Amino acid sequence: MRILPRVAASVAVCALLVTAGSAADVIKIGVQAPITGKYANEGQSIDNGVRLVIDQLNAKGGLLGKQLEVVSCDDEGKAQKAAICARKLVNEGVLAVIGSYTSGATEAAQTTYFRNKTLQTSDGTSGSLTKHKYWTFFRNSFRNSDQAAFTATYLVKEKGYKNIVVISDYSGYSVDLADSAAKSIKAEGGNVIYQGKIKSGTQNFTAVLTKIKAMKPDAIYFAGYYTDGGLMRAQQQQLGIKADFIGGDANDNPDFVKLAGKSAEGTILVNFPTADFLPYDAAKVFIKDYTAKYGKAPSSVWALMNVDGLSAILHAAKETKSLDTKKISDYLHALKDFPGITGPVSFREDGERINTKFNIYEIQADGKYKIINK
Amino acid sequence: MDIFLQQIVNGLTIGSLYALVALGYTMVYGVMKLINFAHGDLVALSAFAGLTVYTNIFADGGTSIIAVITVFMFTAAIIAVVGVLLERLAYRPLRTAPRLSAVVSALGAGLVIQNAIMLIWGPNMKIFPSDLFPSTIYEINGVVITFTQLMILIFSSVLMIALYLFINKTKMGTAIRAVAIDQDAAKLMGINVNKIIMIIFIIGSALGAVAGLFIGIYYRGITFDMGWMYGLNAFVAAIIGGIGNIPGAMFGGLMLGLFNALISGYISSAWAETFTFMLLIVVLIFRPTGILGEKVAEKV
Amino acid sequence: MNKTSIISIGFIAVMSVFPFFADSAWLAVGITFLVFSVVAFSQDIILGRAGAFHMGHAAFFGLGAYTTAILNTHYGWPILATWAPAVIIPVVVALITTAPIIHLRGDYLLVTTIGINIIFLQILENDLFGITGGPNGIFGIDVVKLFGYEFFDQIDMYYMALILLGITLFIMKTLDGSKFGRAMFYINKDDVAAQSMGINIRYYKLYAFAIGAGLAGAAGSMFAVQYSAVSPEAFDVLQSIMFFTIVLVGGSASLPGVLLGTFVMFVLPEIFREFETARYLIFGLAMILTMILRPRGIWPVKFGNIPAFLKKGKK
Repeated sequence: MRILPRVAASVAVCALLVTAGSAADVIKIGVQAPITGKYANEGQSIDNGVRLVIDQLNAKGGLLGKQLEVVSCDDEGKAQKAAICARKLVNEGVLAVIGSYTSGATEAAQTTYFRNKTLQTSDGTSGSLTKHKYWTFFRNSFRNSDQAAFTATYLVKEKGYKNIVVISDYSGYSVDLADSAAKSIKAEGGNVIYQGKIKSGTQNFTAVLTKIKAMKPDAIYFAGYYTDGGLMRAQQQQLGIKADFIGGDANDNPDFVKLAGKSAEGTILVNFPTADFLPYDAAKVFIKDYTAKYGKAPSSVWALMNVDGLSAILHAAKETKSLDTKKISDYLHALKDFPGITGPVSFREDGERINTKFNIYEIQADGKYKIINK
Repeated sequence: MDIFLQQIVNGLTIGSLYALVALGYTMVYGVMKLINFAHGDLVALSAFAGLTVYTNIFADGGTSIIAVITVFMFTAAIIAVVGVLLERLAYRPLRTAPRLSAVVSALGAGLVIQNAIMLIWGPNMKIFPSDLFPSTIYEINGVVITFTQLMILIFSSVLMIALYLFINKTKMGTAIRAVAIDQDAAKLMGINVNKIIMIIFIIGSALGAVAGLFIGIYYRGITFDMGWMYGLNAFVAAIIGGIGNIPGAMFGGLMLGLFNALISGYISSAWAETFTFMLLIVVLIFRPTGILGEKVAEKV
Repeated sequence: MNKTSIISIGFIAVMSVFPFFADSAWLAVGITFLVFSVVAFSQDIILGRAGAFHMGHAAFFGLGAYTTAILNTHYGWPILATWAPAVIIPVVVALITTAPIIHLRGDYLLVTTIGINIIFLQILENDLFGITGGPNGIFGIDVVKLFGYEFFDQIDMYYMALILLGITLFIMKTLDGSKFGRAMFYINKDDVAAQSMGINIRYYKLYAFAIGAGLAGAAGSMFAVQYSAVSPEAFDVLQSIMFFTIVLVGGSASLPGVLLGTFVMFVLPEIFREFETARYLIFGLAMILTMILRPRGIWPVKFGNIPAFLKKGKK
């Protein structure tokens, strides 16, 4: 009968795999990132960055006498996959997870990590990430509201725009940034003539741009991601809308320039200092090592921020001589000015990173950035 | 008023692309009663293939007419071959099988093509160079139309008129129509049904390839999974216009494009698909054969 | 006791002792298998038994998941209290949305059910009324609490899912022998003949949709709790295609077929993670090959209510 061979095969397969899963005495570090999907180049950079740090540490003897192993899970930049990855990584027994790139994927996984006492550090900037004040969570970037306030000052006080359009997509991060920006702009006395949403990935924004064109804006602030921002900028020029385009931090990626083509020139971006502009020697060394190992530079500063989050956690483990995540967490909250490659790292008690600063960049004709803030 | 006209321009452009893709669906469905779920993925494949053809043959980026025509023809040929292979391998063995089996096979074929794209070209978005067509912009009374949009409108119209004439005024076209009405009777009249089906796939795939290239040039960013949704919209357009009906597919495509643009402009682009499917349901309830009427034989 | 019952009971028995041999990671895989089996069976009721071309089932699965998510995170309902709505709401939605289209010809019904799925997705992604969470979904879903005890361990979840599967199998067994089951079988074979025998096709097809939607909703609720988060892409058209395919590739109306299909589609990828990137390519090829070689599915139903010599081959 056909049933018996099938059952036998299934049992054999299961037995084989259960035995294959047993681990040696290693410390596991998890990476949850969009390794495939539309943010793939960011996710891959994060994964590569983490592996580089771990390899270097293993070469020096590892952590507390044990070697480290990286377990990666691809969340494709999607919240459901992120939740599934969280389950998987927790079940693997990782000490800490670096992830994810997007706030949405980070938040979807947060509760699972918290319930299982697994540390998590992420570059997500949405305000909602620290609203629960989970002791397991450490933000290694800055929050939206700080960026929004900085941007608003630039738009209203420095450039004096009179008719500002604010656009976001539907993700939690983007809506949060756009709302904060609109609020800050109004607080500074500026005028938001339209606040709208586009659906990420639709690629054709002519409908909403045509609507905006009639309102005669002088500035368009886009709080979404580079995959949409680049195209929007190109289409804005095509439709003949004569307004300045200012992009939030998630527009900072080489693909923005590729997508916008000739229209990229003159675009303004607001972000944490990008990799090339980091004044720290450690940053330059890291970028050099990364390029040597992977053949290209890290895609953006986000990978570097995550590396700082990882380094801080590893440092805390070493200093507390313990793998107890609560002890590590307490140490991190008390840590002041840990020398990271993106600047001094300090955490507040709700997991926020403090003392971050921003730059304003203008994209040049050759696609390079030029700092224009004072 | 000029916002409205602008949306019309945008809508007709997208609609022409939908129409080209819808033609592929409607021809195959009219003859074989099969929803070729892999068609949308073929359209995506043509965008990627076209990009590769362009960057390899014109590495320094030529924008001459010769360059463009070469890329289009080369890509259309490649995709036509893939289309024929698709029919031969995934559909022909299932001609006499239960209908649902062919549907599963079509879905499977779509997945294969989509993932082949991902494995060959990588999972990241690929970007079309912006200089394939000149970037000239024409402005008439405040309504903007780009060179690319104009090309899409003109080219698609030419192709559709050519197809209509082919189907209705040539011997081969008559043979196709005969096979669509009754395969067995056509066979008895001496028509080589296998050859006709192959020709349908060639034409449908080639039209899809043209659409795919235009999508790449117009939207610039292409991803391996962009074909499915596009194909689905096109199929809906074909149903709305009347399945199996060539003018129906053209009409359906244009109408859907306009509908989409107007909804996106006046309500929100986030609800575009919802309205599309509601329109489909309304049409199916009140005019189940589609607006221009369907042309398939229903065997009871 | 016929063969199907023996297989069901044997299967449940094996699955009951599985947790004693498995660690957390494997239990999670097991839970995935159980939950998706329930959804696959619910799809089978609609597609395999009633013969309705339904390719939007992920929407009902998602309705159950989101009902639990929304009631729990926005309105503070305890998880146990959300189970009833998580079953009822998909049933109601199924009836309302399929009633106007149930009479459509197969392919048109197919496309319209895809449409229902897509409309559901857009409602989720556009954060309707501010409660559906947008493209990131809803997080921080609670765990099942009863008398102060939290059922959070993977073992707890596993047994809950197993009980749900048991209920599902029981429902299917009862259906088969009932008036409803027989009516659906005849509708599937030849609906014109069935109609002339006085069977109200519309009624039975809607009935099938209702039961299928309810079961999928229950499974969805469990899914939401297992991952503490729900988001639109878990319920997109690709998922619907997977459920549709499982039934047809495994074998319509075939119990072992559907289980095998679920195992191959949802469990194997968890195990063979190295093939993650080529996973759908392999699926696609498998789908094509299976349909060509075994058009009725890998493990089709052997016994029907009609003797073999009365059955013809075509459709």
